[in-house]
Amino acid sequence: MSPVYLLLMKTRSMPGNARCGLFLSCVLLVLPVSLQSQQPQSTPSVDVGTIQELLNRIADLEASQKQLRARVDQLEEAQSGVAATNVAPQSLSVSAASAPVKSEPPKGESTSAAQSDQSGTMPESEHMDLNRTALNIRGFGDFGFYGGTQKGQTTSFSIGQTNLFITSNLSERIRFLTEMVFEVHEDNAFSVDLERVLLEGSLNDHLKLSAGRYHTAIGYYNTAYHHSTWFQTATERPYIFEYEDEGGILPIHMVGVQATGQIPSGRLGLHYIFEVGNGRTSDPFAEPVQNYVDENGHKAMNVAAFIRPDTVPGLQAGFSVYRDVRVVPNSPRIDETVADAYAVLIRPRFEWLNEALMIRHAPEGQHIYETPAFYSQISERFGMYRPYLRYQYINASSHEPVFPHVGLRTGPSIGMRFDVTESAALKLQYDYTTLRRQGPIDGKTCVQLSMCAPSAVAAQVDFKF
Amino acid sequence: MGTRVRVINLLTMVVLLALPQEQRAQAGGSVAESRPNPNQTLAIVVNRSNPIDNLSFSELRKIFMGERNHWANGHRIAIAMLNYGQPERRTVLRQVYKMDEKGYEDYVLGVMFRGDVFVAPKTLTSPTILRKFVFNAPGAIGYLRSRDVDETVKVVRIDGLRPADKGYRLQIDEPSGAGEPE
Repeated sequence: MSPVYLLLMKTRSMPGNARCGLFLSCVLLVLPVSLQSQQPQSTPSVDVGTIQELLNRIADLEASQKQLRARVDQLEEAQSGVAATNVAPQSLSVSAASAPVKSEPPKGESTSAAQSDQSGTMPESEHMDLNRTALNIRGFGDFGFYGGTQKGQTTSFSIGQTNLFITSNLSERIRFLTEMVFEVHEDNAFSVDLERVLLEGSLNDHLKLSAGRYHTAIGYYNTAYHHSTWFQTATERPYIFEYEDEGGILPIHMVGVQATGQIPSGRLGLHYIFEVGNGRTSDPFAEPVQNYVDENGHKAMNVAAFIRPDTVPGLQAGFSVYRDVRVVPNSPRIDETVADAYAVLIRPRFEWLNEALMIRHAPEGQHIYETPAFYSQISERFGMYRPYLRYQYINASSHEPVFPHVGLRTGPSIGMRFDVTESAALKLQYDYTTLRRQGPIDGKTCVQLSMCAPSAVAAQVDFKF
Repeated sequence: MGTRVRVINLLTMVVLLALPQEQRAQAGGSVAESRPNPNQTLAIVVNRSNPIDNLSFSELRKIFMGERNHWANGHRIAIAMLNYGQPERRTVLRQVYKMDEKGYEDYVLGVMFRGDVFVAPKTLTSPTILRKFVFNAPGAIGYLRSRDVDETVKVVRIDGLRPADKGYRLQIDEPSGAGEPE
């Protein structure tokens, strides 16, 4: 507030004339000080030599400026024929030339400093700066203690997946991405898998192309949560989205190509996904994901669409349809269709996931089997604590031609996630599962304890590094 | 209006004019309360070559959330964030991202992990460096306290409003951080 106003308020009780006089006195006191501060200071005495030296320096600077201007003009001419899309966001010289601004760069900032500040984004040229790492690496891991009530089952400490998530930006629009996962299976031996290997090209917001091995965009969970328990609230994925090598029944991974993007739809936020790939093998004893050779010429296809409306922040709803043909030797071919629909609400504190699937297997000339499945999960964060509840269900026929061992599995899981630090979290979970068919899946040890035993407990530490 | 009041108003104007510009602006705050304080408004800035002049708040949020990755001119969007703990950053996290620091970090890591964005937002240590980054990168977008804006960057209107306009949304509701690197 102005000192004048302060003075006004203080002197409200004074008579008008006195107040006016007081103000005039103040003004007379203040004005000279203010005006004095605006007076130009007396010119210091300088000798002729100093003046001459300054004039010389001005002449040098003017010459230097002319050279720079000529260089800028030269670059502008060279740049004028180049499409704007070829201009990368990092080059000081090119950017300065392409920008309409005629002002100088911010003072005291060198070109090299400016370029070093942009190391997080793409270099303009394709030349690799050998002084910088070309890989961005983040790591995720988990470790747990698990137990269940099934006869013969032991409590165990288990090392989960150790995941190195590696990306490398090859250019402004092309990126390499991989997930290198070190994991242990029932034989207690480590193995290494490249769970995702992708070369991605982003042309614009409406078209991004990817090629390699990726998570099939069946529904929501499979592409929202990859090989890291850090991002997911619960200790395990829903049974329906368990990985192929851990007893899962869906084609979680696919090797092929993928196109994704936004569809102009205003505030609806419509997106599409289209995938073509090898599908999964029909041989139960082979590697489920056909990374190198497809067992048949038919290609699996997946189409998905979802909306993210502006009006409901955090809401995503969509569907997907996956189609493949499984060819088992000496058996009729099986048409496979996986239809999925979901609606999720993800907000910083609150999450509610709902997803339902129908897996349809149609052996040629035989009975058609349809397996329904769903899960629902709700959680809310209270500071460092996030309690959660999940209910999941799948009911497969005993004669299901692809996964006859699954049967009925349904029940709740309740748990608590406690974020100890920004990089470590402790999860405690209890599962109660109703089973129509019990026992290890495909002869393998149950990785998900809730798949094996009616009751199971898990304590898991997740971390990122 | 009485003569005395007119004299007082006149004297007030004289004193205000005699004050240095910054003090004058501060003193005039109570007179023009509807004008946002330039020290407390957050300007969204882009590269001068970017043709964009106006963004709706919804579009701004999509950009910062990584849901929109390219400008209309084809350049990939490069988001510039100020360093951890600075009032401008806290304002953007609170008003645009609607997240705290941990939520923001997990969110960015998540969208990178899912492949929704290629490059995480660039974190810069000071408004000066952020200004320089936006000056140099055609696709850059960032934020600056209005007093830190100069002619090297372009201020984008949000919902049709400039930072100096009444009703502008991005207000920094906390003082400038002590010891803030500049």
